Amino acid sequence: MIEVDHLSKRYGPFTAVDDVSFRVESGQILGFLGPNGAGKTTTMRIITGYMPATSGKAIVAGYDVFEQPLEAKRRTGYLPETPPLYPDMTVREYLTFVAKIKGIRSHVKDRVGEVMKRTWVADMADRHCGKLSKGYKQRVGLAQAIIHNPDVLVLDEPTAGLDPKQIIETRQLIRELAGTHTIILSTHILPEVSQTCQRVVIINKGRVVAVDSPENLTSRLQGAATIYVQADGPAAEVQAALQNVPSVTRVTQSEPKGELASFEVDTEKGADVRRELASAVVSRGWGLLELRPMRMSLEDIFLSVITDESAEAPAAPAEGPDEEVAHA
Amino acid sequence: MRNILAIAGKELRGYFASPIGYVLVGFYALLFGWFFYTLVAFFERQSMQMAMGGPGGSMNLNQMLVAPLLMNATVIMLLVFPLITMRTYAEEKRSGTIELLLTSPLTDWQIILGKFLGALALYAVMLGVTLVHMAILFVFGNPEWKPIATGYLGLLLMGGSFLSLGLFISSLTKNQIVAGMITFSVFLLLWVINWVSTFVGPTMQTVLNYLSITEHFDDFAKGIIDTKHLVYYLSFIAMGLFLTMKAVDSERWRG
Repeated sequence: MIEVDHLSKRYGPFTAVDDVSFRVESGQILGFLGPNGAGKTTTMRIITGYMPATSGKAIVAGYDVFEQPLEAKRRTGYLPETPPLYPDMTVREYLTFVAKIKGIRSHVKDRVGEVMKRTWVADMADRHCGKLSKGYKQRVGLAQAIIHNPDVLVLDEPTAGLDPKQIIETRQLIRELAGTHTIILSTHILPEVSQTCQRVVIINKGRVVAVDSPENLTSRLQGAATIYVQADGPAAEVQAALQNVPSVTRVTQSEPKGELASFEVDTEKGADVRRELASAVVSRGWGLLELRPMRMSLEDIFLSVITDESAEAPAAPAEGPDEEVAHA
Repeated sequence: MRNILAIAGKELRGYFASPIGYVLVGFYALLFGWFFYTLVAFFERQSMQMAMGGPGGSMNLNQMLVAPLLMNATVIMLLVFPLITMRTYAEEKRSGTIELLLTSPLTDWQIILGKFLGALALYAVMLGVTLVHMAILFVFGNPEWKPIATGYLGLLLMGGSFLSLGLFISSLTKNQIVAGMITFSVFLLLWVINWVSTFVGPTMQTVLNYLSITEHFDDFAKGIIDTKHLVYYLSFIAMGLFLTMKAVDSERWRG
């Protein structure tokens, strides 16, 4: 169980974390989302006892990290943004050292072997940490975090730098760990949150802007879904036809590519008009070349949360960023 | 205690996992060996002259060879120690491994003492190599072992003082070169601080002589263990470690 209560961290006039509060129940995974410099790492460093907060408190597994740091740290595993490896040590030496300083007194060798197997680094056991690839470094970092079987795991971008297969394996491992561990993980990747986390905290400029389950967050933010349509037909007519489909609020033509006309179709909240759009094009004898919902990226969601917050505008995320901004 | 030893072991292995440990020990041995050779050669010539009816008096191996040899050995410290301590904290901060140490169930004292003992152990290895030279003296001569033992104790205490100070300076920066350079300068300053003692007032003279780190070593080399010097070195070490702890703690608050 992790409880963060009105946590603030100030560096002189600069406020890195501003009155952040949230809770993670035992066995849950909490996703921590936010752009760079939002205060994710600072919050995690406070939870792990790396640095004290200016005000507020953090309670890990029943222990206040500031009042009883040793008890709290004994129950916390932490993977920092850069895995804290000693380049001159082999993986086995490194994990043995970590096991010792984490307070493991007996069966250290077995424990190290077990953890190496679990994080798929056993084949690199006698390689120097400095010679490992980024993916292996990350996994040794993960091994280091779970070696003392802590109640709470704090993972700062655990999948950064991994290849797609490793990402899937790591997510799988994190989900497996969730039953017996309480986990906080920070990430930039939205699918990661929806696939692994039960709760999401979005943080910006040190403040929590949203706390919810990923499903709620996505549906709340998908006020207006946008669908991309590419058709082989006279542009103006296609546009008119699409406009006539019920629940469509707006059709904008995007950059034409030769003969083809493409459109972005905004629809009302909750309405799935893909069938209607398809038949509107096909029944008039034009070719339907592409039809897909435009995915809401983290940037979209994130930006709309910020816009919602600052403008207090009632459900106007249709003014959300266009794709160019999202990809920028 | 186990935690301290775990850190100390890691530090010591760290020196020998890279060329650093071997280079430092090797060059320490080389320089010590050179001092040993020149002093033995000098001693030989002296005793030859004595045998041929030179000025009377007794030839004392301890006074004429061991004491100056150990005095010379302190100079190597001045050059080698900044290289030992400059990485202790700076390197951990630069590579981010400090995050592992500070989020593990360790107290600051355990980390600092571990690092200190690790560095001291490396120094002990260096001194260990020089026991070969002492053994040679025992094989071919008959020096007294007690002044040699106190001399080594003095070397260890003086080394400990320098190491604790170097540790503190390393804890102030992320940059190894900066740490090394500042450490060297401060060492040198402590070395020569009483050079001006002849032309400052008598009060200042006492103060500067007391501060000078070499001044306190003389008696150890002569075979005397004076509490005054013992207290000086031990409080020097304690202060260095205390300042390190304050620096680490302050860094934590500043982030």
